[in-house]
Amino acid sequence: MAKIRERYDALVIGGGIAGMQAALDLGEQGYDVLLVEKEPSIGGVMVGLNKVFPTLDCSSCICTPRMAEAAHHARIQLQTYTEVERVEKKGTGFAVHLVKKPRFLIEDDCVGCNLCELACPIDVPHEFDYGLGARRAVYIPHGNAIPQTAVLDVENCVFCGKCEKVCPTHCFDFTQEAEEVTTSAGAVIIATGLQITPMAAKKEYGGDTFVNVMNPLGMERIQSSNGPYGRVLRPSDGKIPRSIAYVQCAGSRDRSIGIPYCSRVCCMYALKQALLLTHYIHGVEVTLYYMDIRAFGKGYEQFYRRAVKEGVKATKGKVAKITEADNHDLILRVEMLDENGRVEERRHDLVVLAQGLVPGWHVGGVVDAEEAEDGFLLTPEAKVSPSHTTMEGVFVGGVAAGPKDIPDAIVEAGEAAMAAANYLERIGWRAMAGAVLGASAAKQEVVETWEMH
Amino acid sequence: MVETPGSCSGSGNEHENGARIGVFICHCGGNISDVVDVKRVADEIGKLRGVVLSTTQMFLCSDPGQGLIEQKIKELGLNRVIVAACSPTLHQLTFRRTVARAGLNQFLFEHVNVREQVSWVTEDAEAATQKATRLIRAAVDRVKHLIPLDKRRISIHPAALVIGGGIAGLVAARDLAQRGMKVTLVEKQPFLGGRVAQLHTLFPTGEDARDALKRVIEEVVSHELVNVITNAQILDSEGVVGDFRTRIRIEPRGANSQLRQRASAVAACPEQTINEFDYGLSQRKAIYMAYPGCYPPIPAIDWNVCTKCGKCLWAVGGRGINLAEQPREMVLHSGIIVLATGFDPYEPLYGEYGYGIFPRVITLQQLIRLLDPLGPTGGRLPRNDGEPTRIAFIHCVGARQIEGVNQRQPDGKVKDYCARTCCTGALHAALEIRRRHPEVMITDFYQDIRTYGRGHETYYEQASEAGILFVRYDPRHPPRVEGNPKGDSPLLVRTSDLLTGGLDVEMPADLVVLATGVVPHDISELVGMYHCAVGSDSFLLEVHPKLRPVELAVAGVFLAGSCQGPMDVTEACAAASAAASKSAALIAQAQVEMDPFIAKVDEELCTGCQTCLTVCPYDAITRDETRGIAVVSEARCTGCGTCAATCPSNAIQQFGFNDAQVLAEVKALLQGAALG
Ligand SMILES: Cc1cc2nc3c(=O)[nH]c(=O)nc-3n(C[C@H](O)[C@H](O)[C@H](O)COP(=O)(O)OP(=O)(O)OC[C@H]3O[C@@H](n4cnc5c(N)ncnc54)[C@H](O)[C@@H]3O)c2cc1C
Repeated sequence: MAKIRERYDALVIGGGIAGMQAALDLGEQGYDVLLVEKEPSIGGVMVGLNKVFPTLDCSSCICTPRMAEAAHHARIQLQTYTEVERVEKKGTGFAVHLVKKPRFLIEDDCVGCNLCELACPIDVPHEFDYGLGARRAVYIPHGNAIPQTAVLDVENCVFCGKCEKVCPTHCFDFTQEAEEVTTSAGAVIIATGLQITPMAAKKEYGGDTFVNVMNPLGMERIQSSNGPYGRVLRPSDGKIPRSIAYVQCAGSRDRSIGIPYCSRVCCMYALKQALLLTHYIHGVEVTLYYMDIRAFGKGYEQFYRRAVKEGVKATKGKVAKITEADNHDLILRVEMLDENGRVEERRHDLVVLAQGLVPGWHVGGVVDAEEAEDGFLLTPEAKVSPSHTTMEGVFVGGVAAGPKDIPDAIVEAGEAAMAAANYLERIGWRAMAGAVLGASAAKQEVVETWEMH
Repeated sequence: MVETPGSCSGSGNEHENGARIGVFICHCGGNISDVVDVKRVADEIGKLRGVVLSTTQMFLCSDPGQGLIEQKIKELGLNRVIVAACSPTLHQLTFRRTVARAGLNQFLFEHVNVREQVSWVTEDAEAATQKATRLIRAAVDRVKHLIPLDKRRISIHPAALVIGGGIAGLVAARDLAQRGMKVTLVEKQPFLGGRVAQLHTLFPTGEDARDALKRVIEEVVSHELVNVITNAQILDSEGVVGDFRTRIRIEPRGANSQLRQRASAVAACPEQTINEFDYGLSQRKAIYMAYPGCYPPIPAIDWNVCTKCGKCLWAVGGRGINLAEQPREMVLHSGIIVLATGFDPYEPLYGEYGYGIFPRVITLQQLIRLLDPLGPTGGRLPRNDGEPTRIAFIHCVGARQIEGVNQRQPDGKVKDYCARTCCTGALHAALEIRRRHPEVMITDFYQDIRTYGRGHETYYEQASEAGILFVRYDPRHPPRVEGNPKGDSPLLVRTSDLLTGGLDVEMPADLVVLATGVVPHDISELVGMYHCAVGSDSFLLEVHPKLRPVELAVAGVFLAGSCQGPMDVTEACAAASAAASKSAALIAQAQVEMDPFIAKVDEELCTGCQTCLTVCPYDAITRDETRGIAVVSEARCTGCGTCAATCPSNAIQQFGFNDAQVLAEVKALLQGAALG
């Protein structure tokens, strides 16, 4: 990994699809970008998704080439496994304090051969598979990770030294420490994305106690061909589920858990997962219990119709409580909203909670931009300059500015890049980049101008 | 990585002309390998002459996948590369770059589509495996004849043309100008502002719509790099990315900046017509200003209505009005084009929910005009004296329609998509009514409430708290709007309410508001001119919703705002800025690189018969009169191949698709067919 320089045009915080897109848009315009990601690989949530609505393209096919493009771009420098400690105004730009977390090996020497991983005797639940699969204590984050560099998880390492012995480049360094680095940037884009609502948020659903109540991102992983099971099985006993329920708005539109807003993607990802389940498991029954189906994007309503036509059941109902039967089946108490609120008990062998989106990161103490009541960054000019934050020179893109799907996140990231570029021009951070456009601008016919009154 | 055993047959397998071909077959994470037996395909292909390596990988487009290709090119000295994967529209560029990074000419690469054209179109594994093998075999024969090519470079004229002066076009122009680019903004109407000007306040911020608009207009028109042309239409456009020439016609405005007594001129006009700004709820003069504070702040004359009686001219003493003004034409030179032509509200069919039959059935757009203090009624709603007014909203009018239930539109289709903005728009208006007239009873007939956006859900919560009654109807049995024979309210809305298990509801109403959807503004002439792709919903179709969301397939033409699909103001502005960003990136490069697949005339063989001139759809061929031969313009040629196929003397060949290459491919394909 290249050394961090003293000065960049822009700092992008977060290497998900939005952060990568913002970095690429700036890089293509001729600005130098530092892209900082706290995890060992870029890619964000998207790289772990199975297929994406409404086209059902495989998510990796869209995301991994973007990752490669960002990694190979001459004007983008990736800085993974690094935390942003503090971003503060200094002169015309920002002073940026970073902390590189120790991988316990010399990154530049690691060739990504996997040998350490194979030698390591410790199995740990894998975050990438939301705990459904395992990884070793030393590991390459996943097959599509960028960089393909190992990271050692000291919490679980027993220091047996097996990894060090097999490493062909002798890159391990167990004494490595976190390293503080300072740099500067003219503009900042925050693209720190999402987390899903904690599974424990709604006690009535037992999301943190019943094994067969699943996290929707975990469901993405087990549906993926490169996922932990290679096919869809239920966690408690490895059986193929026959009757699956989706509980919509399980983590949003609910003041009782402090998340009153709509998370925008849950209807669509649930319909997508449900439709795919009918393709993966012959004869499976999938029911969505929903309040409103919000299929509002381009081609989304048509996708909803298709899912229903192909057998997905959509029932307007509010799930009040979930209890567990002896064999780990689940019993849902459902208020049937289309039947005068009649309460019915439904039994399913697997339940997915359609959790909502909450901020992936809070800026507090690091960047002095304000957050709104919903916890996402405040955008005071939401209508005509939606990426502006309350801090001049700091912009926001993707889910960091509120829940949204991938197409919307990508478009907004482009907008954030444009706003950052124009800000850099305005403060004259780098007169040169502007010159590319301005100086050679050809003369154009002026027709008539009117005075404003 | 699954490397096929025995397939690395080393230099012994080199083709007679020195081709050392590497074939990489992608599993696409199961998208391909779930149907196609990729390993068998790799084995088969590995046996062909010239194939030095035939292998498979989980995701070739990922970094490790691309790394594998790079590594093998270097390690085995490959000089031809074939990737069999998804559609080339998705990743041909990705792999060309990979090949180039390994030091090989990027046009010694061939992309074979075994996903969209094989694994996604059949479940028959055997047939799919055979077809994949056959396609790749044809590519193997083809690549043996490939020659290294260089990209064409076209310099970019650093100026942008933005078509459409609504909020999206304005924001795109603002961003491009601030980024240092010359911009011409062309608006068809005599005034800027588009649909936002017709709104009163914007959800969810509640800010004044025309104030927000005015701020952007000020930024745009005051910028020295921007040139705004109103009242103008696009006549035709030619050229390619970097070098577009667009001919426009500017209609005479009839008034100019010397006109001082603007109000007197308007007042003097005796001619009236329907005011489209108020959706027909008011009248305007033949000489008019669209709305208070509009830009340009100068009246315009509607020549369809003006009788040239001269009364306006008299009223102002002859200064600033020219009834004999003539249209002008001009040609605009630009490197890129941004389309921001916006949307139209859905116009209900006659009789749809009583529209057109009962005057008290109006659209949401009309309601918004009525609520506007500067609107046709000064912000007052039609009311029954003394009685609390009852208002019914019906959602999804001209949206989420179902074939067989809803009447077909004139284009023969139903509007099956969600129009995205009407739920929040309707609740925003309903709450505004409740705020002003707490006694009004509001009933909301809906299917699903889609207040999805940031801050939108609050409207739904507030509406429920404010006692707005929600009735959920079954889209297969939409509500009926009828005249009310008894009672005080002139209308009756009937439906069965799903929320109460199907109870019949009969709701008297004084006003029925149809929350109508949106349709693209009619731009059929532009669609033809720029060869725009259009989706089944009739909106302009982006190249790819995630990879290239604001670009059309035609290089250098970008999309901004609701010409692409329903969007609210925030979304339209974000899309406009994203389009500006992509345009700026293109211009920053000063040159565009284009594929070298253009036609070339063999001067020896050309007889000057001019057949090619007549068939070329892009006017890219001219005749060199002195030498009596045809000449291809490199910038204009799109590589369609029509001339090469038509030339009676076989004097035209196309780079990348010359006879030897195409024939080798076809021969191999046919051979495969005979075997399969
Ligand atoms: C179950 C599920 C299924 C979905 N399916 C679809 C689908 O099919 N189609 C679709 O369009 N959308 C789908 N989505 C939505 C999609 O995941 C998001 O729209 C998208 O991931 C948003 O991208 P982002 O870059 O804004 O955020 P993220 O993907 O969350 O990326 C943010 C990145 O920032 C990093 N980061 C966070 N904080 C910091 C920090 N302080 N410093 C440095 N880095 C930091 C994170 O590690 C992460 O890499 C789905 C969502 C869920 C939950």
